[in-house]
Amino acid sequence: MKRLSVVLVMVGGLAHGLAAQGDVRARLVGRVSPELVQLVGTLADSARAAGLPDAPLVDKALEGAAKGVAPDRIALAVQGVFGQLRTAASVMRGAGAAPTTQEIDAGAFALGAGLTSDDVAMLTETADASHPTMAVLQVAGALAALGVPRAQTVGLVRAEVRSGLPLGDLTNLPAQVQAAAASGVSPDAAASGLERAAQAHAGQSVQPKGKAKGNPHRP
Amino acid sequence: MKNREWNNQVKQVLDGDRELESLSPELRREAEAARRLLLEAIDRRPVTLSAALEARIMARVRGRATARWPRAWRWLSAPTIPRWAMLVPVAAAALFVVFSRGGQQIDRQPQAQAGQRDSVYVRFELYAPRASRVALAGTFNRWDTASAPLVRVGKDGMWTVTLALPSGQHQYGFIVDGRNWVPDPAAPTVDDGFGRRNSVVSVNTINGRIL
Repeated sequence: MKRLSVVLVMVGGLAHGLAAQGDVRARLVGRVSPELVQLVGTLADSARAAGLPDAPLVDKALEGAAKGVAPDRIALAVQGVFGQLRTAASVMRGAGAAPTTQEIDAGAFALGAGLTSDDVAMLTETADASHPTMAVLQVAGALAALGVPRAQTVGLVRAEVRSGLPLGDLTNLPAQVQAAAASGVSPDAAASGLERAAQAHAGQSVQPKGKAKGNPHRP
Repeated sequence: MKNREWNNQVKQVLDGDRELESLSPELRREAEAARRLLLEAIDRRPVTLSAALEARIMARVRGRATARWPRAWRWLSAPTIPRWAMLVPVAAAALFVVFSRGGQQIDRQPQAQAGQRDSVYVRFELYAPRASRVALAGTFNRWDTASAPLVRVGKDGMWTVTLALPSGQHQYGFIVDGRNWVPDPAAPTVDDGFGRRNSVVSVNTINGRIL
């Protein structure tokens, strides 16, 4: 191995980091005030250093500007998003996961939709190879956003994952709740029905325990 | 040997282009004789340089070694055996480059484009019979209020647009007549942090599902 390759890798990493910083600021210049560019840029640097996504911060600033919100209120909202991302990452890592930036984003969304840190931790632990963390958190966040109470949201998603039903059934839950709501059923009643169905499926798929019967054809 | 002209086949054997066994017995003897002559012609006496020549050579070598840039280049480009202590920062730097590049691609919300590999077409609709214009803005188009106008369908007041959204979670809203932000009545909503509600659409390209 040549030292030159080591130096090139390090220089490349440094250049990339600087490019990412410039990229965040470039996305904001002309859309928000220079003070906000500075603030969001600093927060984005902190986010990247902590392994958090920086795009939600930029998005929130752009959203505020598009809606004509005052800069000081945009600053508060961006700081709020940063706090949610940090909390989501901390909770998910505390639950033993090594979340990607997309998973952290999904965790922050679930928090923003009304779930608690404990809920996010529990859902992170619930995820498995067939039901990835991001999908679990996105579905839970969508259910909470649809008005399903948080305890029921967590119960329904956990029951669905444990039932062994495929991922498509999990990601279809919000659409099912919406369809039920469209026909006049409340979100919590719809969620209760779906949870019972998932539990029933889980019960069917488990083989009953007991003493195995002998082979009747055997003497 | 100096004045002798060797057979071409013997020359080929001496050059390694031909096997000795392929020659006729007479040529084989000739080739073996030529090989002996060649080996005897090698001067095996140890080489000794004159003191003056050695001093000149060493002066040049030391001069090159003390020059800063050539020395730095040799330090950089010389092959080295990696040690574990050195591998750790190298691996960390490599991982940083790989994952931060991946993260940037994930984090950057590109404007939705038709035909994107990991995107799903999503149709947005709004019933706004009194509106003169309706647009869609969200995280997928960097909240640009001009890039995704809706088209009025028929005379019933329905407005629609279809976008290819990349995988992930997107928040959005309709802008009616350029000033009124309206959430999508057909989608879940979350607090936008500014006292209003944002609509949410989650695109899961694993199975093309939209939440």
